[in-house]
Formats: sequence, structure tokens, C-alpha cells
Amino acid sequence: MKRRIAYFAVFAVALCVFIVFVVMTVMTGLVRDFRRKNHRFTGDCIVSTESLVGFTHYEDFMKILEQQEFVEGVSAAIKSYALVTPRGAEENYGLEMMGIDPALHSIATGFGLTLHHRKDDVAKAFAPVYDPNLPGFVVGIDRWLERGPEGKYPYHSRPDRRALAVTCFPLTAKGALAKVGAGLVNTKTFYFSDTSHSGLARVDTSMIYLSFEEAQMLCGMGEPVKRANAIHIKFKPDVKLERGCERVASLWRNFKQEKADQKYADLLERVTVQSWKNNRRVFIAAMEKEQTMMTVMFVLVGITTVFIVFVVCYMIISHKSKDIGILKSIGVSNANVMLLFFGFAFLVGFLGSAIGTVGGWQFLVHINGIEKWLYDRFEFQPLWDRTIFAIDEIPNTIDYKVLGIIVLSAIAACLAGALLPCRKAAKQRPVEILQVSQL
Amino acid sequence: MNKGDFILKAEGIYKSYRMGATDVKVLKGVDLDVKEGEYVAIVGASGSGKSTLLHILGALDRPDKGAVAFNGRDLSRYGGSELNRFRNKMVGFVFQFYHLLDELNVLENVYLPTMVLRGVFGWISCRRKAEKRALELLEQLGLGERANHKPYQLSGGERQRVAIGRALMNEPGILLADEPTGNLDSATGNGILKVFEELNQAGQTIVMVSHDERVAHRAGRIVTLTDGKIRRT
Repeated sequence: MKRRIAYFAVFAVALCVFIVFVVMTVMTGLVRDFRRKNHRFTGDCIVSTESLVGFTHYEDFMKILEQQEFVEGVSAAIKSYALVTPRGAEENYGLEMMGIDPALHSIATGFGLTLHHRKDDVAKAFAPVYDPNLPGFVVGIDRWLERGPEGKYPYHSRPDRRALAVTCFPLTAKGALAKVGAGLVNTKTFYFSDTSHSGLARVDTSMIYLSFEEAQMLCGMGEPVKRANAIHIKFKPDVKLERGCERVASLWRNFKQEKADQKYADLLERVTVQSWKNNRRVFIAAMEKEQTMMTVMFVLVGITTVFIVFVVCYMIISHKSKDIGILKSIGVSNANVMLLFFGFAFLVGFLGSAIGTVGGWQFLVHINGIEKWLYDRFEFQPLWDRTIFAIDEIPNTIDYKVLGIIVLSAIAACLAGALLPCRKAAKQRPVEILQVSQL
Repeated sequence: MNKGDFILKAEGIYKSYRMGATDVKVLKGVDLDVKEGEYVAIVGASGSGKSTLLHILGALDRPDKGAVAFNGRDLSRYGGSELNRFRNKMVGFVFQFYHLLDELNVLENVYLPTMVLRGVFGWISCRRKAEKRALELLEQLGLGERANHKPYQLSGGERQRVAIGRALMNEPGILLADEPTGNLDSATGNGILKVFEELNQAGQTIVMVSHDERVAHRAGRIVTLTDGKIRRT
């Protein structure tokens, strides 16, 4: 280990471990954070239809769910699209609209946690603090406030009094326009009540939340029979996701059979029961794919480590041929020669991993500080421009399982890299080495 | 074993090497007996196969034909681990170019064979004893003050004496020396030969290879290797 090349090998392994540790921690953190936000947005399970018409008898099914011992919270939702016109403005824009009961929805999902002004009084989410009697709306934060370069929002101590006219196209249960000949649309003015910061870029830029009843009315889903688009469900903490979803699916199948002969029962056919993972798969899968690709890239880094250690061991063994001959002449066995060089490779892997881990750990602990310093000093945000990306802080929570895998992989890579040179060393015949050395 | 019994006996040793398309026959039926306590010098011209014979006697190489017996036991019947133990415990090698491990100091080089013999756990228990024995050997060889020096800090003669110390560490039955003075000036070489004489007088069996008749004459018996055979004993 006193040879300089051994230090290079340790440094190379340390560098590989450092890079993999830091990037995997950040990447794993991002994926974990993204999954957590999606879970928080959806709840554990969702009974929903993609049709804007929605489905009937949702209240009956909610009652059944509320009676189940494994269910903690249930919340129906209206999901549609709305044309939004700020009061006094000429222009309008389209948004996704969600009608919810804020108290129920905060039990079934993490909606309450995303609020700012009404965080501690979720039931009044749609009651503006300046006039609780006005119909209020909650809007995705990126639609309302401009995020600063540090990822912070310029919240006002009291919400402003801006109002929006929300326009929807009400649909009949058959999917036809409900107000043909009567202007086609339903419009109502709502007043800003709060912002919702879900951390999901798409939701925070394009979502407006209204009270369930108002949204149902705007979409024409309150008559002649009440309809909703989704039921969000939260399970009790000890209930496994798959098992809970299976039980809900079973309940839904029975419920659907019971209602088969009732009016609009065909709408129930389009309803699916999904876990939050399946429901949000479209969004999560892309990120998971990135993580998989990153892992593949790091396998290539691992192969590079194997090659580096192979070259180093090969060079050392080439330089140490004479010593191997000497050791064999005093009775060291082939197995011990192999062990000796495997020990060297293990030491390279172990020291490299230790240095890389300590370095990576320190870097991760200070990563947000470093980024802040770079921005303060040079206005440089190397990873994500916070005015564009919905990422508050660079994730730096150490995942010990990932770290363990990285360290073990690095040591295994070193041992793999040393395998062929070790075999070569063990197979050397002392008499040939010592004779050649003498020459 | 009584003094006068054969400690080493080689019979009909043949050895050839492949050099390109040619098969070079180095040893062509060598017979050699070495009695316990003997000091034998094998002389011969360069390329006559002296070193090859010494390597075969010390189980560093195997003969194509023939047998070598140590204390009456045929070396060809030894398994891998027995051969390793034989090289470690029964014989001690001294090479022309010393072959010390540069990264170890003098003391470590000397006690290395005991480390190999005892293994990791055994070494922990016998380390003090082995260090004491190595220091005694170094004192005996006039290197007591050099124990913590690295080989590159020593002269050629001193290095060769360290190599002798290493060869004697496990108290081998026989010391095999391959041109031990070949890389030394005359005065230093004489010093090494004097060490050999003292060791032999103390009962150590020695087989030495040299191309130099004057060096060989310091031994008790000279055998000459010519054309792959022992010509004169």
C-alpha cells in the first residue's frame, strides 16, 4: 500500500463512491419526494372515472366505505375543466378544476398540508379570511404567486381580494351539453381564499379548487341525480396498500351489482379502483425511469472501477513478481498469494469507500448551503433553477440501504477487478520469476 | 538421524527447457548425495545447470525424471501444502541477488518465514519469540544495529547476510546457496563464506552453487557439473 499507484487506486474508488453516493442520494430523494407528494395528493386509494360525466350513487358507496374498519377517511371529488377570467380583465385561461369538501379531503389526502392561510382551519379553506361569507377558491400556488430564485414564495400576511369568474360546461349524465339553448355554460364568481402548494408542478400551475357543492353545480352534476368523478380513500396506518385496495375493489364489485338495475348504472361500469401508485403511474414512471437509467449509468461507473482496480493490481503484480517469487520460495502457498492481493484489493475498496462515503456525506450535508453560496456569490444555480422547477431544496437525506449497496458494490468491484491479476500472481512459478529477476 | 546419514539424495535427475523450437537438455541424469552436516559446493560453467539443480533440490522446481529424497522421503510424493512447508521449514535459500523484500525492514525480512509458518493467528502468539530469534540471528551475523534499516540502506554484503538470516530463521535442515558471493567484491564475499564456514562448523548442512573454483574450495566437498552430469565428487 506504500506505492503511489495504490493511492491512485484508492482515490479512484473514493471518487466513484463519492459520485455515485451523491447522485444516487439526490436522485433517490427526488423520486421519494415526488412519490410522497403524489401519495399526499391522491390518498391511498382512488375510485374514479376518467369520464367528465362522473358516476352516480357515490354517496351510497361512501357510506359503505365509512363503515369499514380499515378506512380512515373518504372524500368525493368533482374533476373537470374550467375557463377562468380574472375580474376586470379581458383575457381568460383554462384550468383543471377540483371540487372537494376541504375537511373530508384533508383526512383522505394531504390537501390541508398544502394550504397556507387556512392550514390550521382546513374546513374553512373556501372561506376567504377577509369575508368568510364570500364563495372562495383555492388555487395552485404557481398560478398565483411567482416563485423566487431560492424557491420561496412571496406570501402576503393576508390574502389579496382578487376574484375570478369560473365558467364550466355542464354535462348531462349522458354526456351531452346540459344547457343547450341556455347559454351552454355555468359561471360564478369566486374570491381568493388560499393557495395550495402540493409540490407537484402540474397541479400547482393548473389547478383551482372549489367547494364540492359549487363545483357540482357548475358542472351540472348535482341534478337530476348527483354525480362525482372520484372518491379518495385513506386507509388506517396498519393497512397494507395492496390489501386495502383489493378490499375496496371487492366492495365496489358488490356495490356495482347491487345497483345494476338502477338508472344510470352504466356510469358505474367506467369506474376503476386503483392504488395511488397506479393512479399516478404516468407521472411517477418517468422519474423512476430516469432513476433506472441513472442506475445503469452507475453500473458503467462500477465497471470503470473494476477496470481501474484490474489495471492497478495488474501493474502492482507485474512490479511485484520478484516479491511473489521470494514469498513462494519461503513457502507461501498459491492461496495465500491470492489472499494477499485480494486483501490489497479489499483494502483499496474499503479505504476508497470510506473516503468516498465521508466526502459524499459532508458534501450532501452542505449541498444546499453550497448551492445557496454559489447563487449568492455568482447567481449560479447548478442543479435547478428554482423559478422554473418545483423543487424546494436539493434532497440530501441519506438512505443507508443505498449507501450500503454502494459501499458493498465498490468493494465487490475491487475484488472482481483483482480476480484475474490475483490468479496470475498465484500461478507464477518462483523458479521462473527468480531466474528472470536475476537476469 | 545420525551425522553421516544422507539428508538429501538426488537420483537420475533430468531436466530440459524449451527455448523456441529447441529442447535444451540441462540436466542429464544427475546423482547427488548430501550427508547431514556436510558443506558441498557444486561448481560448473555458466549455463551448466547448477542453479537448476539447486532449485530442484530445494523443491522450487520439479525434475522431468528422477527423484529427490529429503531425509529419505521422496519430494515428488509431497502434496502442495507439504511442499510449501518443506520450502518454509526444511530448506533455506540464499540467492545471488539476495531477494529481500524492499518494503520490509531488515528485522521483518528475517522473521518473514516464521510469519508464513505460523499464519495470522499463530503469529500473534509467537511474534515476540520470533523477533527475539531474528534479532539474535542478526547479532550473530553482525547486523544487530541494522534491524530497523531498509534493504536499500545496506551494502551488498550486509544484504546477503540478511538473506542468510532469513534462510536460517526456521532452523532448516539444509541451506541452499545459489552463487552467494557472485554479486559481491572479494573481501565482502570472503566475509559471507566465513559465515558459511562458521554455520557449517555449528552443524548446518550447506549446498552452495558457484562458478568460482576458489569459492568452491572453501566447502568441504566439491562436485562438478559438466554437460548436465556430475563428473567428479
